[in-house]
Amino acid sequence: MAGAALDLDRPRPSVAEALRLARQRAASYRGIWSWVLTVDHKRIGLMYAATAFTFFLMGGMEALMLRLQLARPNSGVLDPDQFNRLFTMHGTTMVFLVIMPLSAAFFNLVIPLMIGARDVAFPRLNAFSYWVFLLGGLFMSASFLTGNPAGTIFEGKLGLPDAGWFGYAPLTLPQFSAGHGIDYWAFGLIILGVSSMAGGFNFAVTIINMRAPGMTLFRMPVFVWMTLVTSFLIIFAMPIITVGLFELLFDRLFGANFFNVQAGGTPLLWQHMFWLFGHPEVYILVLPAMGIVSEVLPTFSRKPLFGYPFVVFSGIAIAFMSWGVWAHHMYTTGLGSIANSAFGISTILIAVPTGIKIFNWLGTLYGGSINLKTPLMFAIGFIAMFTIGGLTGVTHSIVPSDYQQQDTYYVVAHFHQVLVGGALFGLFSGIYYWFPKFSGRLLGERLGQLHFWLMFIGFNVTFQPMMVLGLLGMPRRIATYSDGLGWGLWNMVATVGAFMIAASIVVFMVNVIVSMRRKPDAGADPWDARTIEWTIPSPPPAYNFAEVPQVHAVDDFWHRKYVEKESGEVVPAVAGASAIEEAAPGDGHGIHLPSPSYWPIVAAIGLPMIALGFIYDFALVPAGAVITMLGIYAWALEPEAE
Amino acid sequence: MRLRRSVLRLATGAALLALVALFMGCGAFGGDQNTFAPEGDVADEQRDLFVIVTIIATIILIGVIAALVYIMVRYRRRSPDEPPPKQVHGNTRLELAWTIAPALLLLGIAVPTVASIIDLGREAKDDALHVHVVAFRFDWRFQYTDPEFADAGGEPLTAEELHIPVDREIAVELESQDVIHSFWVPKLAGKLDVMPGRHNRMWFNATEPGVYAAQCAEFCGIGHSIMKFTVVAEEPAGFEAWVDEQLSAP
Repeated sequence: MAGAALDLDRPRPSVAEALRLARQRAASYRGIWSWVLTVDHKRIGLMYAATAFTFFLMGGMEALMLRLQLARPNSGVLDPDQFNRLFTMHGTTMVFLVIMPLSAAFFNLVIPLMIGARDVAFPRLNAFSYWVFLLGGLFMSASFLTGNPAGTIFEGKLGLPDAGWFGYAPLTLPQFSAGHGIDYWAFGLIILGVSSMAGGFNFAVTIINMRAPGMTLFRMPVFVWMTLVTSFLIIFAMPIITVGLFELLFDRLFGANFFNVQAGGTPLLWQHMFWLFGHPEVYILVLPAMGIVSEVLPTFSRKPLFGYPFVVFSGIAIAFMSWGVWAHHMYTTGLGSIANSAFGISTILIAVPTGIKIFNWLGTLYGGSINLKTPLMFAIGFIAMFTIGGLTGVTHSIVPSDYQQQDTYYVVAHFHQVLVGGALFGLFSGIYYWFPKFSGRLLGERLGQLHFWLMFIGFNVTFQPMMVLGLLGMPRRIATYSDGLGWGLWNMVATVGAFMIAASIVVFMVNVIVSMRRKPDAGADPWDARTIEWTIPSPPPAYNFAEVPQVHAVDDFWHRKYVEKESGEVVPAVAGASAIEEAAPGDGHGIHLPSPSYWPIVAAIGLPMIALGFIYDFALVPAGAVITMLGIYAWALEPEAE
Repeated sequence: MRLRRSVLRLATGAALLALVALFMGCGAFGGDQNTFAPEGDVADEQRDLFVIVTIIATIILIGVIAALVYIMVRYRRRSPDEPPPKQVHGNTRLELAWTIAPALLLLGIAVPTVASIIDLGREAKDDALHVHVVAFRFDWRFQYTDPEFADAGGEPLTAEELHIPVDREIAVELESQDVIHSFWVPKLAGKLDVMPGRHNRMWFNATEPGVYAAQCAEFCGIGHSIMKFTVVAEEPAGFEAWVDEQLSAP
């Protein structure tokens, strides 16, 4: 009967108990819900990788459209308005929605395994980072679907931001940028910044606190070191751009005058804040890839990393020095000879630690037994391309010469050299290297080599001509150019190269699909590697390590497999076969794992709602804030499920 | 043996000469905005600095790539049964060498760099010709502010093309009426941003008569690609004639 079913006298569970029951139920979900509520670093890493790769395809298509427009002089493929919006989205997407999250994917997938941990220090915060990234990226991309106000010159145009990925003031102020594009850009970056900050704290704490017994700081793999350094850079750099973005939004939404010259504001302040963030940001983009290269080279030369302490210290030095060079992006703004000289010297000097890394990588390969598989090809490609990128950076640091190079295609060539030839190649090296660990299958070697060579050649065909174009006087960010300036040929060549890169990405995607169809028989250690993530099965069980590993040296796994005789000869250790963990019987009952949770995604959802509220309808702001606050409150109260 | 060494030396010298020629010869490429074909003292100084540093950088690059290729070929794994090689961990003397040598080289480059920054950043000479450049979305105006260029009503001569006499220092003062632009005449000088709220100044000159293409070099919105202007450098007589023509026109 109805009355019996209600049973109003039954004791009510407390809030904490209700949350515990909900969490316990969440642990039983399968299928898509188990992914939505997951706090497992391996799943979060895969979600980061898939999402980042999707944005990569989007940013790549934007690039192809830009290159189609610029292939010939006076071309009409895109009008200037479309061009401006596309190059803004291309840059913003590639930096914030591709390279940073791809690095985060590697932090998630690999760091706990490399340090012998079960998961990261704050698993729910980890999930929160991912959901905020996804929602921030979707939010920013939603501007594709919006329009522009009537009565302005932008009426009928798409509502994307159009002031470049660096959004210089006062161009971004409402009198010059009507519509909401810049608001989407600024709020989007703030939301993404929340994701990065959370990740920065999470990984710094994880690396400092959760290393396996015996793994002192100087027994950590270099990738772990670079992640630690990058995490600190994120923690200190993100707040700076957040302040700048708040000031910009106050100017745009509330009539503040930070950057409005008529009322005494200073546009130059935006540049200082942007680049004080922006320069450490480029090292945030490249240091993880350098860490990956420092793992791949020793494995595929079967020798330790040459000069391990020097590689580590140069990474730390780069991070410190990166705070002292920001105004090299501003040499032409009229800061004066003293400032330009100071930043010229600091920029010249930051080449030293970078050179140290390059030489140590060469030293690692020298005298090795080099296995020319795809991960190594990408790592070697990184070394070659980053050397060019670094050297063009040195030519930039020659300040008077930079007065000619600044704002031209020479700069575009330089930063694509280090971000694509450098960071992206390093990340692909990592993908080919760790793919077997997480899927149990190796990526196809023939398709991998095709991908590498097509991408390497295509990359050079695209970007080396841009160095010439810059020196021939072609400025950046121009939607079209006249005939007769000598730019047509090189632009056409660059466009051809861009399509070669696109073809190589298709090859990669085919490789992934074809490889996933094979049986998962790669085994725990397909590369005869050196670090402890290769001691556990591929793919790893949910609990990672059945027993917490005891670490005795750098490259601990290698030392379990091989012994060095007096003569220097390296022979397999007698007990080497048992260095690999067998999959523990059963499904890991009794091993305490972090439980899944509803609250990270709930807390994340409020953030884009707040942003939309400021743009469209203020009622959404308190709604979003309440949802986020509720999510955090429940998160804090939520106990373990078991 | 001796023949091989001297052949090697000859080859290295020839390669270096070829590099220099290659870089200097870039001026032969057409294009009115070619920074490798400078026609003014400022652009000249900037091109020379660039060539020196780039030649050094190219030598280093060739060294690194050659080492990389050599290592990959010489030390490639020849059979899958090859045992692991000697586990070398490092070499402190090498580390010091390749830290100190680049640092010294770079500091060496810093000296002419700073000297040039100071030279190019100085105030224009006293007898310079002063032009007030006004930039707005999406065009330029040039005001000749020296008293000798005032018209009948005392207003400064204002033109849409920048006419200048050859071999005389031009002192520009930059003003923006809206957003940030950048004043760039590639064949005569590197660029200087036109910042709203500031009046950036620089000096430059033209050493050859000619018509020099120029365009805005800081993204300023939808018309950025077409925000161009022209610098016409003439012998003093031709320049005076142009001034008279401008001042007498209604």
